[in-house]
Amino acid sequence: MRIGVFICHCGSNIAGTVDCAQVAAKAALFPDVVYATDPMYTCAEPGQAAIEEAIHSHKLDGVVVASCSPRMHEPTFRKTVERAGLNPYMFEMANIREHVSWIGRDIEANTRKATELVRLAVEKLRHNRPLQAQEFPITRRVLIIGGGVAGIQAALDCADGGIPVVLVEREATIGGKMAKLDKTFPTVDCSACILGPKMVDVAQHPLITLYAHAEIEAISGYVGNFSVSIRQRTTYVDWSKCTGCGTCTEKCPSKKSYDHFNEGIAPTTAITIAFPQAIPKKAVINKDFCRQLNGKKCAVCAKVCPTGAIDFAMEDSFVTENVGSIVVATGYDLMDWTIYGQYGHGRYPDVITSLAYERLMNASGPTGGHIVRPSDGKEPKSVVFVQCVGSRDPAIGRPYCSGFCCMYTAKQAILTKDHIQDSQSYVFYMDIRAPGKMYDEFTRRAQEEYGTHYIRGRVSQIFPDGQGQLTVLGMDTLLGRPVEIKADLVVLAVGIEASRGARELAEKLRISYDAYGFFLESHVKLKPVETNTAGVFLAGVCQGAKDIPASVAQGSAAAAKVLTLFARETLASNPQIAQVTAKRCVGCGKCLRCCPFGAIKSSLVKGEEKAEVIATMCQGCGLCTATCPQGAIQLAHATDDHILAEVNALCRL
Amino acid sequence: MPALANNELRIVGFLCNWCSYGGADTAGVARASQPTDLRIIRVPCSGRVDPLFVLKALLNGADGVLVSGCHPRDCHYGTGNFYARRRLEVLKRFLPILGIDPARFSYTWVSASEGQRWQKVVSRFTEEIHALGPAPRFEAVEPLAKACSWTQESKGPVSVISPELLEQLKKAIADKLPELDCVLGWQEGRDLLHSVPLFIRSEDDLTKLRCDATCHNNLVRYLPDLKGQKVGIIVRSCEARSVVQLLQEGLISREELVVFALPCQGLLDLPRLEEALGRYQRLEDLTLTETTLRLRVDGQERVFQTADFRQSRCEQCPGELPAIADQSFGDFSGQTASQTLPPELAFLDSLNLQERMGFWRACMERCILCHACRNSCPMCVCRDQCIAESREPHWQSAEASVKEKFFFQIIHALHLAGRCTGCGECQANCPVGLPIFALRAHLNRIVSELFDGYQAGCDPKAVPPLLTYSQEEAHIHERSWE
Amino acid sequence: MQLAYFPGCSAKGSSLDYELSTQAVMAALGITLKEIADWNCCGSTPAHAVSSLLSSALCARNLDLAARAGADLLATPCPSCLSNLKATSKRLEDASFRQKVNALLDAPCAETLPKTTSVMQAMAELVSLDELAQKAKLSLKGLKLVAYYGCLMSRPAELMQFEDPENPMLMERMLTALGAEMLDFPLKTACCGAAFGIPQRPLTAKNSGRILELAANLGADAIVTCCPLCQMNLDLRQAQAEKAMGRRFALPAPYYTQILGLALGLSPEDLGLAKLVVPMDGLLAKLTPKQAPLASEAPSSEVSE
Repeated sequence: MRIGVFICHCGSNIAGTVDCAQVAAKAALFPDVVYATDPMYTCAEPGQAAIEEAIHSHKLDGVVVASCSPRMHEPTFRKTVERAGLNPYMFEMANIREHVSWIGRDIEANTRKATELVRLAVEKLRHNRPLQAQEFPITRRVLIIGGGVAGIQAALDCADGGIPVVLVEREATIGGKMAKLDKTFPTVDCSACILGPKMVDVAQHPLITLYAHAEIEAISGYVGNFSVSIRQRTTYVDWSKCTGCGTCTEKCPSKKSYDHFNEGIAPTTAITIAFPQAIPKKAVINKDFCRQLNGKKCAVCAKVCPTGAIDFAMEDSFVTENVGSIVVATGYDLMDWTIYGQYGHGRYPDVITSLAYERLMNASGPTGGHIVRPSDGKEPKSVVFVQCVGSRDPAIGRPYCSGFCCMYTAKQAILTKDHIQDSQSYVFYMDIRAPGKMYDEFTRRAQEEYGTHYIRGRVSQIFPDGQGQLTVLGMDTLLGRPVEIKADLVVLAVGIEASRGARELAEKLRISYDAYGFFLESHVKLKPVETNTAGVFLAGVCQGAKDIPASVAQGSAAAAKVLTLFARETLASNPQIAQVTAKRCVGCGKCLRCCPFGAIKSSLVKGEEKAEVIATMCQGCGLCTATCPQGAIQLAHATDDHILAEVNALCRL
Repeated sequence: MPALANNELRIVGFLCNWCSYGGADTAGVARASQPTDLRIIRVPCSGRVDPLFVLKALLNGADGVLVSGCHPRDCHYGTGNFYARRRLEVLKRFLPILGIDPARFSYTWVSASEGQRWQKVVSRFTEEIHALGPAPRFEAVEPLAKACSWTQESKGPVSVISPELLEQLKKAIADKLPELDCVLGWQEGRDLLHSVPLFIRSEDDLTKLRCDATCHNNLVRYLPDLKGQKVGIIVRSCEARSVVQLLQEGLISREELVVFALPCQGLLDLPRLEEALGRYQRLEDLTLTETTLRLRVDGQERVFQTADFRQSRCEQCPGELPAIADQSFGDFSGQTASQTLPPELAFLDSLNLQERMGFWRACMERCILCHACRNSCPMCVCRDQCIAESREPHWQSAEASVKEKFFFQIIHALHLAGRCTGCGECQANCPVGLPIFALRAHLNRIVSELFDGYQAGCDPKAVPPLLTYSQEEAHIHERSWE
Repeated sequence: MQLAYFPGCSAKGSSLDYELSTQAVMAALGITLKEIADWNCCGSTPAHAVSSLLSSALCARNLDLAARAGADLLATPCPSCLSNLKATSKRLEDASFRQKVNALLDAPCAETLPKTTSVMQAMAELVSLDELAQKAKLSLKGLKLVAYYGCLMSRPAELMQFEDPENPMLMERMLTALGAEMLDFPLKTACCGAAFGIPQRPLTAKNSGRILELAANLGADAIVTCCPLCQMNLDLRQAQAEKAMGRRFALPAPYYTQILGLALGLSPEDLGLAKLVVPMDGLLAKLTPKQAPLASEAPSSEVSE
């Protein structure tokens, strides 16, 4: 072999603590190395050109670049060597930046370590051989999990791009949290007025199949060819017959059901349609409150339904959909704020969440948009907003900022004044985070034009004063003194958390999540919608706190990724997959048993059973290689010989 | 390669590409300073890490080896780290029997976002390895010339098959023979004391059949080679377990097999008997009862108490015959489970780490690499494809150094983890009498501890523990670096 | 039943009525309090402000005495004493600290020291609510009470191990079992301002005033206390609080042991009721003889006579 070695300085990132020239000089002495140099920036255009030039002039048939992490630039350099006519897999990297220069300052030790890592890469490369990717057809359909604004945007963009969409929503209607909002910041335009048309578009788009009141049961397969089992949770209403007329909801005698859509600010009926603009506009029976389903004689809804859609015997059903890509947009939930004893553990009816307050203000909410106290129905004149309830609070293990509470609190303060002219709002805040376009101006408006009293500090206790009001004790940290406010209503800006079931879904999708259950993107800055599982993309708050414009942007970004993926008829498989040497295989089937992907099958070769790898299904984990006692199945470029070469390079002294 | 600076030790890390390698990158991006000793080998998944890589590194001069993967339940490939967890835990517990300090090997889980945790893991592990100092080199340790003590208290009888029972068996085989290609049994070998396998293809062959306590060859060793033929086999408890294990692994087919089962109380330990007999010219007569063995050797009458020459492995026999017999002969009620520690394992347990390595070093000087241990093992199904002799993969060099010989023993032992049915043929057939069964017995002990008393070959429906996993392992306390 | 007992200095002075009623109630419940011999100040004030080592040494001596008397559990009525005892036990786990403390003592303190608890928790451990209700002679039915724990009884939470630190309910459970109506009292763990009782008297008056005001607003007949200092601020200094809040409360602030004692049929003398500044006359008048067995789970099911 003729190997070329390039020791990148990465400016001073590597050269600052590694003697790159010395590493290159030592590398030149390694077996099969015919050329070694230490360029300033290997990944830059001149650096890549120099590699191509060296391949030609030194007739190289393999290249080692020692620079940053292969997780960063391996694909870059594979393309470089390919341009110069080499097989892209005749390339290895040594990570001398993240694993060497950035973690130690001892130049001598670093140089020695870098040299050994280069030796490792050279030894590995000596065992490489050209690999060819295979093409396989892809299913050009996309699954979108979650029908909030991010999922809706992704669904519409994909469908408009000609890709059939399967949209799965857990609730009975799409719209997500945005559908519950009254107005949106910083324009104070009606949430339903801007989201409604998009929801209708989803319902009417010929390429979108919507499963509402449904959940993901199981996912198998891989990029290009996923198979998804969807659980259609029972609604006890045959939606093919339901016209959404609402007669049942008017007649239902069980009128004390918890109203999830309205955040429980008023009770509702056991059979409901979430809100007038619901998509799909279909009725659902809440099993917990339905008299008929709890052994009492009722069935009033069945009697009044003009189309006979009620079916008390209905059970969950399952549908399987085949898709080539998945967008996850599962959004968020509010954390359980009742853990805070100082705010009353949820005992006081007039201490409510900001989301419940949205429903109070909303014209289509239970109060018709009239702001009243849940306890006595009176109009509140003094409203205290408490920010960061369950956000930025390491004491309860939630150190993260929920991102959009500062803004909606300002909006709610403004709207409170609009609704009740003689009201006074107070906002307890830690910091006002308003970095978006027109955002800071908006919070200033709340203070300057609407007279909202902003108090920088936390609230230590909220309690009823025994005379119909709430006493709010807090600290004004700017003035350095305690404050005490009498409030008619307290609105808590409750922090967000990953949607319930997010972790379980992540495990089904084989994507990662952080300590708080938010899904992990592939790269914080450069791959914000990709995940580490090819073909699975993220949109919206499921990845981390963000407001509506950011969620919509990410929905579109995820759709763009899907459209990019589907721009081709076929996908190239990763050629670094397991291969069987038939003569070594004894047909014991241990590899079949372990393979996480079912990518190995047994087939007859000359009358004997042998393992055979299904190239398009193998994901290249190498579990089979570690399992096969006789080494008959070898993962390309991570063969026993590759790893042994590396071990020997390190240990044989 | 440049020699390592005097204060650096050689630490090899195997990191999965998706989580831990990314975690190490994250630590780098955060400029989290770490000791420089560790060298990282990137693998796709912790499940790719064959425990033999770790041993290769440790035998070849690594002072410490660290494996790190995705957290359980968060494997990029779904289940790879679940398998890794089992295999690496078995490895960790296996190391001491070789004389290697188990603290020199560790495995843990670090996710791509846990840069700080990675820093902690590297710093702690490096610190621990430095506390241990440079690892002793196998080829450089002082050989420990100490013989394994065999003085095991053996009280059990040995097997005697009555002439009537033997006739019954012969009749049954004769009846079945027309349907079969052959039946595996034993016959007299070079003299009355030594038996060899018998391939019964005709009624004439049947006259040679012998089934007493001298018949120690594990006939199951031949079954995989006879796949595709309809074969009968005479089994006792230990052979039966080997049959079960091969059935579990799909290496033989139940439909092609007819199992004739015999009860067994114990077998004679021929090497020890030969030692007691001394050199002799002719063995003229042999009479065996359950308790005494009478021999006429070179005209002299010699009497031995069988209890003194019962094979030590019979002391660990689980007794009960797995339910695979097509036809059973005789009374099985005398077979009881006994669970004593094999004498070779008890001996090794009594040594400290340094002595153990010295002991194996001395053993390996005597090993002639004849591979008899492997060739007689019913579970060594790789046959011609054994990785000890292949060029690709090239696990072993052709050099016959003590290190390479030891590595061969390690390959054989680790390939039996969770599979060894404890027949002891490996050791019985060793021409230089090395107590290598100790390695398997120790692995069996580990597997039993970790997997609720699992014993290979007892249940035809069981899945070998290293070929499966539990999401929550009851007995594996994962090493924490918090 | 025996319980090793550390009364604390207040018991012999300002809160003599707490001491009297604690002794009387425990005796009525069949629990003998064994006061540890030759005990000293817990180091709460002012020692701990000057030297935490000295404060711990004082406590260590008390714990040592209890250990040598063979106690494995030591109870004290005073939250402040308890806080110091518990903190000392915790700090003594550190060998080097223990060494320093031992240097201040006549002899090294015992290796194994008793666990510490409040009299209230010990009582609840030893006597079930049903037993308590059975032993009652008078019913508290018709009494509206609020329980006030003060800031120290449940804090620091991990040290004191006293129920939900923001919303303890132990007094509520006991008094409900005896028939009283316990009102939800959000300020039950608020600070009465005791620490500023001397340097910042207006602040104390305001803090205590807020607590009294809420209790009065809720319509309570009394605010039930369990801390000598809190009790002093709410009772002895109630006039100052009234001045600060600009209204009159006249709200009795008895110790919970005094209320328990009344229900158990003990005499006002035994319970030191005369020591209370705000008199309990109105409340005493409301006590009724026990009629039906007081079921702790459903006191409201009783028919009022």
